[in-house]
Amino acid sequence: MQRTAVLFAALAALALSLPATAQKAVTLNVVTAGDQNMVDYLKDYLGPMFEKEHPGVTVKAVGTGPGDAGSQKIYEKLEAEKANPAWDIDVAVIHQKAAGEMVGKGLLARYSAEIPTGKLVTSEAAKNALGSDVGGYVMPMFNSQTAIAYNTAMVSDPPATYDALEKWVRVNPKKFGYNGIKGGMSGVSFVVGWIYAHSPDTDRLIKGPYDPDTKKSWDPILAELAAFNKNVVLTPGNAGTLDMLNRGEIAMGPVWVDMFYTWQSDGKIPPGVKLKLIGPGMPGQPMYYVVPAKAANAKVAEDFIALATSPKVQADGIVKRFNWYPGIDTAAVKPQLDEASWSKLFVDVTPEDLATKGKPFPIASYFNDILETYERKVQ
Amino acid sequence: MGILLLVAPALAMVLALFVYPLAMSLVSAFTTKDGAPSLDNFAKAFELYGNDIVFTLVIVSVSTALTGLFAAAIGGYLILGAHPTAVAILRSLYRWPLFIPFIVAAQCMRTFLAKNGLMNNTLATLGLVNVGSLSGLLDWRGIIVTFVWKETPFVALLVSGAMASLDRATIEAAANLGAGGLRILTEIILPQIAGLMVVGLTLAFVTMLSVLSVPIMISGGSPTMITVDMAFRVNSYGDYGVANALAFVSYVMAGLAAWIYLRRNVADGSGL
Repeated sequence: MQRTAVLFAALAALALSLPATAQKAVTLNVVTAGDQNMVDYLKDYLGPMFEKEHPGVTVKAVGTGPGDAGSQKIYEKLEAEKANPAWDIDVAVIHQKAAGEMVGKGLLARYSAEIPTGKLVTSEAAKNALGSDVGGYVMPMFNSQTAIAYNTAMVSDPPATYDALEKWVRVNPKKFGYNGIKGGMSGVSFVVGWIYAHSPDTDRLIKGPYDPDTKKSWDPILAELAAFNKNVVLTPGNAGTLDMLNRGEIAMGPVWVDMFYTWQSDGKIPPGVKLKLIGPGMPGQPMYYVVPAKAANAKVAEDFIALATSPKVQADGIVKRFNWYPGIDTAAVKPQLDEASWSKLFVDVTPEDLATKGKPFPIASYFNDILETYERKVQ
Repeated sequence: MGILLLVAPALAMVLALFVYPLAMSLVSAFTTKDGAPSLDNFAKAFELYGNDIVFTLVIVSVSTALTGLFAAAIGGYLILGAHPTAVAILRSLYRWPLFIPFIVAAQCMRTFLAKNGLMNNTLATLGLVNVGSLSGLLDWRGIIVTFVWKETPFVALLVSGAMASLDRATIEAAANLGAGGLRILTEIILPQIAGLMVVGLTLAFVTMLSVLSVPIMISGGSPTMITVDMAFRVNSYGDYGVANALAFVSYVMAGLAAWIYLRRNVADGSGL
């Protein structure tokens, strides 16, 4: 009799304790656009660190693919489940174009003022995404920049501007390569830089207001680009440009700075290949941490982003491990880093270069106009 | 009633996963963003991607023709080959690409066909060519090479099976009368298996028409295949209208192939 009572008591205790643990266990769904390195960063670095500080939380990282296409998928998923009471994405990492659209559609939560690292964000990109006001809805994960990579064995004195590059390509046909506009953002960035270099009013493209007639003035500019293209190699994708640099098939090409340094440290790019940010400037972009408006675990999501944007993680994770530029104020990150890691990121592209030649992408309407005019006039 | 219940699950699958999306795609192709019926999407599709449509048709047609050629050659050698070891080696090797996905094939070809890639470097090491004078094949040629490499085993598998089941008496009679291998293949064997060849090539044509990974990974230049343009319309502009108009063009191409396929099946009375 007594034995049965003990057994029952044990069973009851077990039954009571089960729902308690089930409630405590939280799965935080982090969905990221971007290349595989984004998923690796969340899965191997940030996720385990957060799980250690928050027992009972499991971080599940999922990638949706590179470029705006990846962000578009996140946008479409949230849009599709809009009517549901709770959404199954807790933290999303997205590009600028999608961020502007998602804020406009009311899909994102306004959270950055509520987390301690919110005040460390000073960049213009945290307020303005391709012309949309995103202030408060986003925390930049990092800033990335495009630049021209060149092989010092083949080019001793690299061109410093778009004009000089145009001349160089005429003298050295088929030694410059980029990936057009359909194979990834480094090519898109090169084309946008071309428009910036030749257009009389770059500021308006970046800040607006939008005028649908502006694109008519690009016809001669893009005719020059079409002529330029005759002497260049069109590479298959961001990785295609790096591959061709690696195999010595081209001497120069536009690349993402972070991807370039990562490939170089993996030994996939020879040490003799260097970077130059050419004038008047080339675009770069941040990626944003956002919390969907009806995220099931919004509070935990905010804690996760607070950790991700803390100076320590920005120094160790973003700068040191992945060669990105920090998303929060660099002044807050620098004290966390040793001199070598800091200077490695700023050897080829100096902070002054970044300040003067690192441009944002144009506002969304001009951006689409540039791509479509390129399709019409250059291809 | 009972019959209806039996087909209901299959029918529901077809309706939900094929008919409904197809209808949505057509609606989106023939309407503006506000839902008004219009042909604007097609006007834009032909204005911007007219070249790409022609390019797609040419690339896929050429690849299909080459696939047919190689499949016939492989099938023919398996039947007529005089050297048993060579036949055995070919038989065990030719099917391998069947099991490799398009995206993996494309990734391999990226390093194989590049200017300083494996193929050119091998030729250069053998002293056959000078790499400096070569160009890479990472353009329309690379797409064709990859397609043919990937689709030939599939068609060859179908065709060689049919060849093996032919009455050997006709082949031996031709050989006795002095016909060479090539003549037996083209005048005796191929006419007898032509129906199956058409079916195999039709399926290969439709498959190649739908591949996105190969053109996007192999060729950065333009013109390119319309699958790339469709992806670009959606990813860069969120523009499903023009993407669906291009999709409609590809339905028409696939529909033509399907028409040939069905006509062949009716003529044969075969179920393949």
